Amino acid sequence: MNVNEPLIRVEDLKKQFESVHALNGVSTEIRRGEVVFIVGPSGSGKSTFLRCLNRLEDPTGGHIYFGGTDLMDPKVNINIHRQKMGMVFQHFNLFPHMTILKNLTIAPMKLQGVSREQAEAEAMNLLKRVGLEDRAQAYPSQLSGGQKQRVAIVRALCMKPEVMLFDEPTSALDPEMVGEVLSVMRELAKEHMTMVVVTHEMGFAREVADRILFMAEGKVLEEGAPDEFFGNPKNERLKAFLSKVI
Amino acid sequence: MLQSFADRFYLNFIMDDRWLYLLNGLKTTLVVTFFAVLIGILLGFLIAVCRSTCDKTGKLKILNSICKLYLTVVRGTPVVVQLLIIYFVIFGSVKIDKTFVAILAFGLNSGAYVAEIIRGGIMSIDNGQFEAGRSLGFNYPQTMIYIILPQVFKNVLPALANEFIVLLKETSVAGYIALEDLTKGGDLIRSRTYDAFMPLIAVALIYLALVLLFSKLVSLLERRLRNSER
Repeated sequence: MNVNEPLIRVEDLKKQFESVHALNGVSTEIRRGEVVFIVGPSGSGKSTFLRCLNRLEDPTGGHIYFGGTDLMDPKVNINIHRQKMGMVFQHFNLFPHMTILKNLTIAPMKLQGVSREQAEAEAMNLLKRVGLEDRAQAYPSQLSGGQKQRVAIVRALCMKPEVMLFDEPTSALDPEMVGEVLSVMRELAKEHMTMVVVTHEMGFAREVADRILFMAEGKVLEEGAPDEFFGNPKNERLKAFLSKVI
Repeated sequence: MLQSFADRFYLNFIMDDRWLYLLNGLKTTLVVTFFAVLIGILLGFLIAVCRSTCDKTGKLKILNSICKLYLTVVRGTPVVVQLLIIYFVIFGSVKIDKTFVAILAFGLNSGAYVAEIIRGGIMSIDNGQFEAGRSLGFNYPQTMIYIILPQVFKNVLPALANEFIVLLKETSVAGYIALEDLTKGGDLIRSRTYDAFMPLIAVALIYLALVLLFSKLVSLLERRLRNSER
């Protein structure tokens, strides 16, 4: 594979719900190790775009090349590729009937044939890094929102993904718990994990992002490096948006 | 008074070993209920998974229509009528074991109710659980088996237990095809002794004891499942 080939290349992605056009032809590239943030008003299609990347939503048109494979090809086994695309949800979606450790090990054990010992050792390692190794035997209902989200990030990392997709990871958290989740994401970015993040945390986007996309009405209206994006916005919609949120 | 009570007890249960009517009837009732429950769970489970798969993914449309038709017919007609139709119409021209017919009729009937209970349980699980499973790379059946159904089982256990209590008591109409179940056993004693009180109250008490025992077992199971979460 070409080294310069981007990890994800999206061509003219379209998604239509009933009568609403959620995505109106989005094209972009995400390179290995790049941290891309997507911001925009609600209803702009940014979450839909993210969820189309691993086809949790089925796009109605366009192409998504992931490591050179077109995920829109009907013959592609999407489950194989999803293992390489970790996803973190707004509402955590931990499995409530399993301990934290089981939440983390079930997918590697069942899908990648990792032995229990190895899966648990790797899970404990990652838990330690997010400061939750003492909660391994707890159930999700016993954790705070911030702890749940950190576990959810670890659950995705246990599959050793090539890219992490974050769908508003801090939007459902109490304000005092946002920081602990952001610091885990900051660590990931420092280690050059490829990340695509949909968020409303503008300060965090400015600090961590390599590139920011502004979406509205199902299109990318502007994109650029954080300094340019915040310091010198060109699109009128973006200017109006930034004046409201900052 | 006491003497007459003892006499009636002797007449209804001891004389000519009449208690055997109750014992054999009880065995038949338990056998029919047990296997009907098994058929009900298996059938209900398959229908529920098929129906909710269709609701969620839009696949299995034809199978879903068949399931819906089945649910409509079974839930729209009395179980006694279904039992009679299976025995006198479907198997009318062949000699067949009545216990088998009863198991089949009650199992097919129960399956419809179990299906709706389990389907309700599947639909009640937050869609985020499906998405989390799928996003990790589990396919649809794996997501069902590892993520969804264990949660469903715990949620529907009370409703399922209720369904099986209903089923146990519903088998008392098996006498319509002259199957000698517990109720029929009591009735046979009544027809021998012309005493309605003793045998019928005895039958009622046995049903009550069975239901109490079953309820107790279910509540123990529920508590164990709940403990595993807190």
